[in-house]
Amino acid sequence: MTTSLVIAAFVAAYVLIATERIHRVAAALWGAAAMVVLGAVDAHTAFFSEETGIDWNVIGLLLGMMIIVSVVKQTGVFEYLAIWSAKRARGRPYAVMVMLVVITAAASALLDNVTTVLLVAPVTLLVCDRLGVPPVPFLIAEAMASNIGGTATLIGDPPNIIIASRSGLTFNDFLLNLAPIVLLLLAVFLVMCRFMFARHLVIDPERVAAVMDLDEREVIRDSRLLVHSGVVLGLVMVGFVGHSAFGLEPSLVALLGAGALVAISRLEPQDFLEDVEWATLVFFAALFVMVGALVEVGVMADVGDWLVETVGSNYAAAGTVLIWGSAALSGIVDNIPFVATTAPVVQDLVHAGGGSDQARALWWALALGADLGGNATAVGASANVVIIGIAARNGHPISFWRFTKYGLVVTVVTVAIAWLYLWLRYFALA
Amino acid sequence: MLARELARQFPTVGLDTDALDAARILTEQRLPGLIVLDGDGRPHTVLPGSQVLRFVVPTYVQDDPALARAFDEKSADALCDALIGRTVRDLLPARKDRLELPVTAPDATSIEIAAQMTRMRSPLVAVVDGSRLLGAITVSALLTHLLDPGAAR
Repeated sequence: MTTSLVIAAFVAAYVLIATERIHRVAAALWGAAAMVVLGAVDAHTAFFSEETGIDWNVIGLLLGMMIIVSVVKQTGVFEYLAIWSAKRARGRPYAVMVMLVVITAAASALLDNVTTVLLVAPVTLLVCDRLGVPPVPFLIAEAMASNIGGTATLIGDPPNIIIASRSGLTFNDFLLNLAPIVLLLLAVFLVMCRFMFARHLVIDPERVAAVMDLDEREVIRDSRLLVHSGVVLGLVMVGFVGHSAFGLEPSLVALLGAGALVAISRLEPQDFLEDVEWATLVFFAALFVMVGALVEVGVMADVGDWLVETVGSNYAAAGTVLIWGSAALSGIVDNIPFVATTAPVVQDLVHAGGGSDQARALWWALALGADLGGNATAVGASANVVIIGIAARNGHPISFWRFTKYGLVVTVVTVAIAWLYLWLRYFALA
Repeated sequence: MLARELARQFPTVGLDTDALDAARILTEQRLPGLIVLDGDGRPHTVLPGSQVLRFVVPTYVQDDPALARAFDEKSADALCDALIGRTVRDLLPARKDRLELPVTAPDATSIEIAAQMTRMRSPLVAVVDGSRLLGAITVSALLTHLLDPGAAR
């Protein structure tokens, strides 16, 4: 009886999160509270259990990176890079788009996607204003680039952080398995941009001088903090790459980096906590309690057993279903609760496969599908929603269907290439 | 001193007045804002000078003020080109953000007028008798009176 009620409460909360009938944080808290009232979780399982409780590694990693972003953005480095790249491209629209897409993807691999587009979008509008070209293709390309770039690393996208914590995969595992395909996808995406937006990328030689007149050095707000942030960020990356050797969880690396930046920058709490999304952290905590309850009552084990029996050793087929299914669902609903719910099941499948490369490919299928699927629709990823909001405020509205028209094409192509990569690397050529 | 005694004739503009003309009235007469009349000639809202600036400064610069530093003087001088071909209606903020017209009755006292300005954060208050605009009181006129109440009597 309790199991049925727990499933019903979980489904109800999930529907509320997916449909956004109420705020997703309120829906997740409601779901977590229901699990407590139904007796599926208690204080011990919610706060202290590594298997079924709040994953403090995920919360700590997100918090640390959010603080790092709050400090780094005070330097003006993103604005500098964007103006510098537009000048390097000599104002040629497609070359400018290539530079901005590469900067956005690279920054999104290291930092939060939403923050990246929030920083790059205003300067994109400035450059497009100067060039006299419509900014919408540039903004759409940046949103998609942030979702593609974020796929490359453990810290690039929240689903990857959840996967890393559940699977025990390291920063280097993500880098070695996902970064190569992301580089290829980015190159393909840039070629696609050339065709998708060709008619908007027309150069006006008279406007080029207006871009060359911009002075990128003026946007650096604090050069001392810029140098310090660069050093700390570099050390944090070294920490991520060597976290297994150092015996430090990625969450501790991020929190140590955040602490160092706070100490060096001497910023006030309201400044270095400016980009901490407390609502997102609470959302994660509540989700973990909800999913933990399903594990506690045995639902996840039953689903896992059934899947292990169904899949057998056919991991190629399971990976195919997982990558395409994740992509389709992530285009429609938030990929964070989806991955949080799916991860324990994938964990069972990988465990049953003895942790072989073929079995572990399921983690990559989940990450690629969930991350790349965010490009499918205007509401598929937070970065898309933020870009559309910025565009509208600046008098360049992007309709749901305009974004989705491009998004569906990009998603189908990128997921197909990613699927082919998985199949070749882990099955056909393994 | 009552509102009717403090009120002065004040320039007004219509919703369809040319935006450049409205900006020129503000600058030439050094006004903190303008009273905007609706199609029937009744006071509709206040257009503060800051709202004109908000219109000419690109939203992306308001989002990221550091970008203002990247502008060269030539581009800054061209900012007011954004007013060309626009009307006062275009300058006003979205309806939900629009200032409620700060109105006071002719028999309001100076403290009532001050309270009205403070509450609505408006640099001027329209003095209206029924639907007839008698004039307006600026914050500087009110302060002048409050600093030296006897002088105007």
